[in-house]
Amino acid sequence: MRELRDQMRDRRTLFMVAILPLLLYPAMGIGMVQMTVLFSEQPRDVVILGANDLPDYPQLLDGDRFVSSWFLIPSDANKLRVITDKTTDKKSDEPVDDDQADVVENKKRQELLEQARELETVFGKQKELLNQLRQIKGESKKEQAARQRLKQELKEANSEFSGLFAESQIQVLILVPKGLSKEIARVSEKLAQHEPITIDRAESLRPIYLRNSADEKTRIAFSQVQEVLGAYNKDILRDRLNRANLPESLPNPINPIVIDLAQDEQHAANLWSKLFPALLIIMAATGAFYPAIDLGAGEKERGTMETLLISPAKRTEIVLGKFLTVMVFSVSTALLNLASMGFTGRHMVNLAGSGALSRFGDMSFPSFTALFWIVVLLIPLSALFSALCLAFATFARSSKEGQYYLTPLLMVTLGLTVFCLSPAVEINPFYSLMPIVGVALLLKGMLLSSVNAGILYVYAIPVLVTSIGYSLLALWWAIEQFQREDVLFREAERFEVGLWLRHMIRTKDSLPTFAEAGFCFVIIMLLQFAVMNSMSAAIQAATDAERPTRMMQLLMIQQLAIIATPALIMGIMLTTSVRKTFRLYLPSIGFLIVGIVLPFLLHPLSIELAQSLSWFFPKLPEGTAAVMQSMSDPTQPIWLILTAFALAPAVCEELAFRGFILSGFGRRGRAWLAIILSSITFGAMHMIPQQVFNATLLGLVIGLIAVHSRSLLPCVVFHFIYNSLAILHGRIPKTWLPENGLEHFVSMQPEGLRYSWPLLLICGAITIVLLLWVQSQSQSKNALDAAGSSNSDSFGRRLTDSK
Amino acid sequence: MIHVEQLSKSFDDLRRGSIVALDSVSFDVKAGEIFGLLGPNGAGKTTCLRMLSTVLQPTGGTATVAGFDVIKQPQDVRTHIGFMSCNTGIYDRMTAWEMVEYFGRLYDIEEHELQERLDRIFTTLQMQDIKDLLGSKMSTGMKQKVSIARTIVHDPPVLIFDEPTTGLDVLVARAVLKTIEALREEGKCIIFSTHIMREVEKLCDRVAVIYKGKILAMGSIPELEEEYHESDMEELFFKLIQEHEDQLAMKAQ
Repeated sequence: MRELRDQMRDRRTLFMVAILPLLLYPAMGIGMVQMTVLFSEQPRDVVILGANDLPDYPQLLDGDRFVSSWFLIPSDANKLRVITDKTTDKKSDEPVDDDQADVVENKKRQELLEQARELETVFGKQKELLNQLRQIKGESKKEQAARQRLKQELKEANSEFSGLFAESQIQVLILVPKGLSKEIARVSEKLAQHEPITIDRAESLRPIYLRNSADEKTRIAFSQVQEVLGAYNKDILRDRLNRANLPESLPNPINPIVIDLAQDEQHAANLWSKLFPALLIIMAATGAFYPAIDLGAGEKERGTMETLLISPAKRTEIVLGKFLTVMVFSVSTALLNLASMGFTGRHMVNLAGSGALSRFGDMSFPSFTALFWIVVLLIPLSALFSALCLAFATFARSSKEGQYYLTPLLMVTLGLTVFCLSPAVEINPFYSLMPIVGVALLLKGMLLSSVNAGILYVYAIPVLVTSIGYSLLALWWAIEQFQREDVLFREAERFEVGLWLRHMIRTKDSLPTFAEAGFCFVIIMLLQFAVMNSMSAAIQAATDAERPTRMMQLLMIQQLAIIATPALIMGIMLTTSVRKTFRLYLPSIGFLIVGIVLPFLLHPLSIELAQSLSWFFPKLPEGTAAVMQSMSDPTQPIWLILTAFALAPAVCEELAFRGFILSGFGRRGRAWLAIILSSITFGAMHMIPQQVFNATLLGLVIGLIAVHSRSLLPCVVFHFIYNSLAILHGRIPKTWLPENGLEHFVSMQPEGLRYSWPLLLICGAITIVLLLWVQSQSQSKNALDAAGSSNSDSFGRRLTDSK
Repeated sequence: MIHVEQLSKSFDDLRRGSIVALDSVSFDVKAGEIFGLLGPNGAGKTTCLRMLSTVLQPTGGTATVAGFDVIKQPQDVRTHIGFMSCNTGIYDRMTAWEMVEYFGRLYDIEEHELQERLDRIFTTLQMQDIKDLLGSKMSTGMKQKVSIARTIVHDPPVLIFDEPTTGLDVLVARAVLKTIEALREEGKCIIFSTHIMREVEKLCDRVAVIYKGKILAMGSIPELEEEYHESDMEELFFKLIQEHEDQLAMKAQ
């Protein structure tokens, strides 16, 4: 409450949140009306050379304009000024007007015509060169040299030509060939008498348009000229058809009729569905921005943070108070903005009537159900932004620093929003679980289809649940920030890379720190991203025959260089005990056996899980599908495939993820957090959604084994066997049929070998037993293992629940 | 009321590596007593007091305040102390009355009792005329008064003052010291840190000289003067520091 009142008293915040939206949109509306009134396009110059050869009927030109009936919107005729040699010829005969303006006008006209003629001659030269080039047909040295020279000249002429055109003020130049009107008349005449017409392609008289499509002005002018001449063309054609007694529909034998069934509200919905979600999200983010900075970094700056901390209020309570305040502001900013914009929009449409604004579509309000959903979805969204902003703002030392931190957040949000604006992006199960994107797409869908939104309500549940989940996670993070003394009492520190590195090496410990582990992961991801391009290029460059081999070589190199090397270097540089960091101990036999047995049990489970969830994930891109294919490519030697896809990843990935990263995350003592984090990073490294999911689950199991056995060996064994099984699974011939009682457990499906219920149940049961055994046999003696074991329970449950 | 035993705190610092801000400090403070922590800037006074007020977690040792453990019962500790320092600002956009009232509510004081107490505090501290002034409009002296009012609004048995006179002019500083003295008369247990000798001489019943995280000497002023044969507190202070520096130099060799 206090925070709310405090913020309300801050004039700046109040202005940003309430007054600005209320005033901004009407102001923008007024501005827009004014602009449309004042806005007049400057006429563009179109020069026609040889206008005398244009047919007199139908009339194309009217003075220095095209005849307005050729335009879709007749007033567009004023936007093009036509300068022809014909009109000037006439004008030069007449006595020059005394009018000064006219003289200037005429002078400009002459200038443009001059430029046009120059262009014409250059164009002629160019054509000449082209002709010469075509005529050289032989392959002898001399001719080749000649061709080379001509090409060179042509190139020069080309650049000269476009240079000239760019310099000239002409937007479009039309060159009408001599005798065009006669030719048209002749053809029309012949057509009318149903005589055969012979048109020599090379000699056919076709006008030439010159334009520069890279120039915005030219582009606009050209599209208008095209419109005019298209209509003009049609008219001549119609005239010909009429005279030849042919039906007018001759050129369009199939002439479909388009009927637009969209109603007004759908038009409105269309507009809103694009604008609303985007604005809602951006406004929710900006609304959270300022109060969060003020309540986080601002309080630190003014020294009131400490006052608050010594009060009996719990830190959690303090954070919640701040969080709720920020959220209220976020929600109200978003709603006020939308309301103000909606009213302004409607008012403007009423005001402007059928004017230029009607092109924006009807701006009536979305339905009440849609409004209801906006509010419902806005709350978790605001909660997410509020918590994130608050966490960043708490971390920042001053308001200025807070703004530095929050700007990237805003940019990311903006990026996601723009992504959702694209009409091709529609909500699907995968997107519905993504933060921000899910909400945006769901809102878009709801506003778009007011009629059959049934399917969308199905998505509403996951979107809501995940949004709330994300915001809780962000809130937890904010609270976590608040519990950290180094964050609360940060003092000005000087950041020097050298100093920092020295500090890292000086204070190195037997295990990497949390931050170092995170950094290692970031490096691995960045490297992977960096080489992705060159890798695919190398694969593309290889011939079909050697492509699989090349791919596997590259994969092995990638594993060694990108995943294992950074982890190893960091492990040696930053820790005192490489052995401890990478868990290079011999495990007890029991763990080794678990490492061997468990993959056999988990393999069917994960295959079935992947199959039952295949509807959820987007389809694989072709490149990755090819990699998968090569895994089961029977022409490759099995040992090579096993090395590339099983041995290399098993060693390298385990070193990085169960070695360095898990050790680093686990140093603070929270084993369960370390396992979860390391498996999430392990999953994220796999990039493809399906594999990310699968790898994250497996990461949990391997992490558990690693923590409890304190050895990397069972993990490597597990990983190797698991990957090998996946490869072998793909290599089972499709014709193989289970028999001798096996048919109860496995069956052959088009997509490969499938496992049936009894087998899965058995596997699940043994898995749970083994995992329980693992945690009971724990060799790490610290008290926090209780947390680790509860994780194994929940993990086991998760595996069976998903069945 | 305050019992501190082997309290330590170390930070990680980029430049200096791990630094020990407070090194196994022990002392006791009784009710009705003002205990002074005397030391230069960076000696570890603030760190020590922050740990007593549970804002920081000690890395070693224990402390109980008003019978509550600072590690295990931080919330109980906070309800039984009043803490004031030059860092504890007041809200710019709240009036003096609202500010003190708000903190009173945070301490769960009953409403009518709170209003009565507010009235009393505002009268004794002569703040009735700045009652409705916004924090941003107040002078430093007024702000300090509000801070004191905030510190004692819940009538805590233990009061912690961390350099309360820093940045104040002579008049305001004097008023603050008078208030602290008056609080002792009420039988409060007061711990008070400063780097100003005069304040210690005037106010404190017992003093601990703290330097580089260690307590160099402790006792009442007459005791200290007798022990170190130095009648001037300032000279005594420099002597102690010099001795400690010499010892450190010896060790380094």
